[in-house]
Amino acid sequence: MFRQLRDVYRYREMLRNVVLRELKGKYKGSFIGFLWTFCNPVLMIIIFSVVFTHLLRTEIENYPLFIFVALLPWNFFVNSVLQGSTSLIQNAALVKKIYFPREVLPIAMVLSNGVNYVLSLAIMLPALWIAGIRAEWTYAAFPVVLLLQVLFILMIVMVVSVVTVFIRDLEHFLSIFLFAMFYLTPVLFPISMIPDDARWIFDLNPVTPMIEAYRDIFFYGVWPDWIKLAKLAVGVLLLNVVAFRIFHVLQKRIAEEL
Amino acid sequence: MGGSIEIQNVSKLFRVYQGKSYSLKEKLLYWGKEKSEEFWALRDINLSIPEGVAIGLVGRNGSGKSTLLKLISKILYPTTGSITVKGKMSTLLELGAGFHPDFTGRENIYLNGSILGFTRKEIEEKLPSIVEFSELADFLDTPVRNYSSGMYMRLGFAIAIHVNPDILLIDEVLAVGDYAFQEKCVDAIMKLKHQGKTIVFVSHSGNQVKQLCEKAVWLDKGQIRMYGDADLVVQEYERRVE
Repeated sequence: MFRQLRDVYRYREMLRNVVLRELKGKYKGSFIGFLWTFCNPVLMIIIFSVVFTHLLRTEIENYPLFIFVALLPWNFFVNSVLQGSTSLIQNAALVKKIYFPREVLPIAMVLSNGVNYVLSLAIMLPALWIAGIRAEWTYAAFPVVLLLQVLFILMIVMVVSVVTVFIRDLEHFLSIFLFAMFYLTPVLFPISMIPDDARWIFDLNPVTPMIEAYRDIFFYGVWPDWIKLAKLAVGVLLLNVVAFRIFHVLQKRIAEEL
Repeated sequence: MGGSIEIQNVSKLFRVYQGKSYSLKEKLLYWGKEKSEEFWALRDINLSIPEGVAIGLVGRNGSGKSTLLKLISKILYPTTGSITVKGKMSTLLELGAGFHPDFTGRENIYLNGSILGFTRKEIEEKLPSIVEFSELADFLDTPVRNYSSGMYMRLGFAIAIHVNPDILLIDEVLAVGDYAFQEKCVDAIMKLKHQGKTIVFVSHSGNQVKQLCEKAVWLDKGQIRMYGDADLVVQEYERRVE
């Protein structure tokens, strides 16, 4: 895995260019373009807020912001996985014609969505402050949680990007699976609202600790559950080694499959 | 300093499917029943290319030349056998790889250069030389979509020739541009040769092979038909093809 990362580092200029190309595509070179990437989450927040506050009556204070804080990292996760899964296919021409460490492509997808998420905090944080949710020292935990999330997403994207080349349907399975997963993650509601006998699914869900951590840091102003995060981190580091190995082996055949 | 290439017992099998199935359902439904033909693009290739040698690769279309280059450059991997490469390698298989039509010539130099493995600093250092070689200084800041195909190729080659690898693999990209530019390209490759680089050169031009290479390989239907001094091999190849 380290040799692969070293090769990617040698090609860091290419990585930078691919990330910039992705970001430019999203923003179309304008601030308005950047705001467009909010349309989807903002719309979702409006709809969910209306449904849960007025129609189904949850009692969560500042419910729209409650969702916002969790929805942004969730979108980072989902977009990275879906875009990462097609990253090799989309660049088939390049892969077949010229040598470069192919890890660059899925990694670029994760990074570009990561940058997008971090930039979106420029809107989320002021929104929190205006609503009276103060900045706390707990913000300092953000880089750690973000790093953990990046590594988590990375291991998934490395495997999914290369497997999708051979089984094209995977892209669709992923969409559906992630859609279901959304409702099994405490984005729209806190875990405390889940009945005890169903809680095990949420506890099994590896995304849960990270989403809860973001909410702890930004919304509640408390430190995240370090034990849970540490356990996740160990798993994530080990699985990354496995994921990179799988990529290394399978990428040998992709020039013929694409 | 050049690099070396060891090719041992390499064969490459392509499966050509009738109606390739990509979806899971099709793969499961037709498992084992898919009609496929085996196509051995290369068989039992044994070749040793030492440092500083320029070797030509000739053969008819479909004889496996491009496949062999792709195997050496790790775009494809061999079905059997192994290829050991010592040294940094660069392939000119397709010029202008990754060129973005909306970007200017200058921007594409950075983009294409990065895909070829340059760092930003290296590109900045070589930029003047690249621009001069391509003779496209006046058009550097126009989008590449406005270039003629000749200009496109010239920019691609100008960037690629500035890669400073130990091994250079060139696949029929010298049939580019007008005669004057071709001469410039051949000179540039000669210069690299005198620096001791190892070169593998695929070409349909027997003259260029004789000019640049000491040794040559004649590939016929995926196998080495002849290996020896460039003059002799090219002569035999051209005679046979007549």
